[in-house]
Amino acid sequence: MKNKWAALLLAGMLAGSVAAETGTTESPFSLRGFGTLGLARSSSHHAEFVRDLSQPAGIRGGQWSGRIDSILGVQANWQATPEIELVGQVVSRLRYDRSHDPEVMWAFVKWEPDPRVALRVGRIGADFMMLADSRLVGYSYLPVRPPPDFFGPLFFSHFDGADATGALPLGPGVLRGKVFGGRTQEKSAGDLGVWDTSGSPVGGVVIDYVQGAWQFRFNAARIEFATDMNVDFLRQPLAAAGCHDAARSLGTAGATARFLALGAVYDAGPFQAQVMLNRIHNGSASFQDSHAGYLLVGYRLQRLTPFLGVSRWKTLGADGWPGIADPVLHDAYRRFTAGSKVDRATYSLGLRYDVGRNLAAKLQWDAVRATRDTVFSVRNPSAAWDGRTEVLSLAIDFIF
Amino acid sequence: MPAAHLVLLFWIAVAPALARADLVLVAHPGSGIERLTRDEVINIYLGRYRLLDSGLNAEPLDHPADAEARYRFYRSLVNKSPAEINAYWARLIFSGKTRPPRVVGSVERMLELVAASPGVLAYVDRSQADARVKIVFDVSD
Repeated sequence: MKNKWAALLLAGMLAGSVAAETGTTESPFSLRGFGTLGLARSSSHHAEFVRDLSQPAGIRGGQWSGRIDSILGVQANWQATPEIELVGQVVSRLRYDRSHDPEVMWAFVKWEPDPRVALRVGRIGADFMMLADSRLVGYSYLPVRPPPDFFGPLFFSHFDGADATGALPLGPGVLRGKVFGGRTQEKSAGDLGVWDTSGSPVGGVVIDYVQGAWQFRFNAARIEFATDMNVDFLRQPLAAAGCHDAARSLGTAGATARFLALGAVYDAGPFQAQVMLNRIHNGSASFQDSHAGYLLVGYRLQRLTPFLGVSRWKTLGADGWPGIADPVLHDAYRRFTAGSKVDRATYSLGLRYDVGRNLAAKLQWDAVRATRDTVFSVRNPSAAWDGRTEVLSLAIDFIF
Repeated sequence: MPAAHLVLLFWIAVAPALARADLVLVAHPGSGIERLTRDEVINIYLGRYRLLDSGLNAEPLDHPADAEARYRFYRSLVNKSPAEINAYWARLIFSGKTRPPRVVGSVERMLELVAASPGVLAYVDRSQADARVKIVFDVSD
């Protein structure tokens, strides 16, 4: 693994040298990169704090670790003609299998016949953040990581397919609409092992209105899971007991999850604020429906930008199934579905320091406050987990 | 003459010239652009919308990252520091969404490009805007 990191770092440094040479020329080719060297510690000894639910393991017990936030990415752009651009991006980060193997995040052709229309085909970023398709470029945003209460369950970062974007002036601003569709190629890891969601159809629409310092967003997306999670340990006894509806309710294959989000950004001079709200409806009893939101505010003072944030994630599901007569099975069903319950808030305080061009340092403190039975949003919780932890993070973000 | 007096004399002589060195956005005289609004310039330079009323594609040019003109331009346009503009473009470049303005190393080369192509736009000091180009926006307004 270390060799792969070294190879990627070397590629990044080479990319940096090429970018430095091409940065002030009119070359149609560019090679750039981004990365985060992140250290974080979580005070709780009883559960592991993770950046999002794709991560199989997190941090715990007051030990400093670079596991959850360290990222390195390299991107090549080739402007083949004025209308056609090819983009490829490879990223190394903590993956579902605990490796940092490089992963192809973007690989697409973009056709932009005029500034109002763009069509992209290939591997494309999933557009969940208001400001960017990628949540991995730490240099581009204020906090060390996008709020896990909001983005944690959205572990999809790309899909294979196409999107089409249209833009038109509306009043003093610009209205942009995007439709996208394709199939996912991703895996996540949890208590039940690795869940391979590859091949799941995904689609949606994003509408933005941008005017002056304001941006408003509406986002709707759906995914129809192509595969089941490993829940046969419960489905089989339920089916054997004749509780077929309850057994079917746990399946994810064929279940459709729907995501709705609204957001606003105000970014005027030194002041910036953003707020987003979402609602996720999962089509399977294995995942409770949820809503979440976050507010992030920052104010720049020369090179320093102090910021504070608050986020909330709460599930809405029922814990039981009325048709299960056997109390042991019913209790097992109730305990399993309660495993995806979340009732959690996070309060964040941080400081970004722009060290120099393309380099920023960040310090952040997060207080996670959840109910004792909130185990879905952490990894490997013990019986002593009380839902509370403080996370201290240091990060160096850079682009080249 | 004491050194302090020399410095004072320098500033008395040079400061008015610096004060006059305000930035203007220039275009090809045949571009069909009469004037651009501040919102339109923001939309073009931040990559939000780059189609001109005349139907031409707007192609904005930028000064190098460490150029003083670039610092003044974005300060005046959106009150953002170079680091913030860098972070803004990092978001968009690494999303494959849009391209930042093309960076050109010299004002003379900028003026050549503007004079050669009707869609190209550049910001320069007012005193540098010669007969080859037309002023379409006063950045200090």
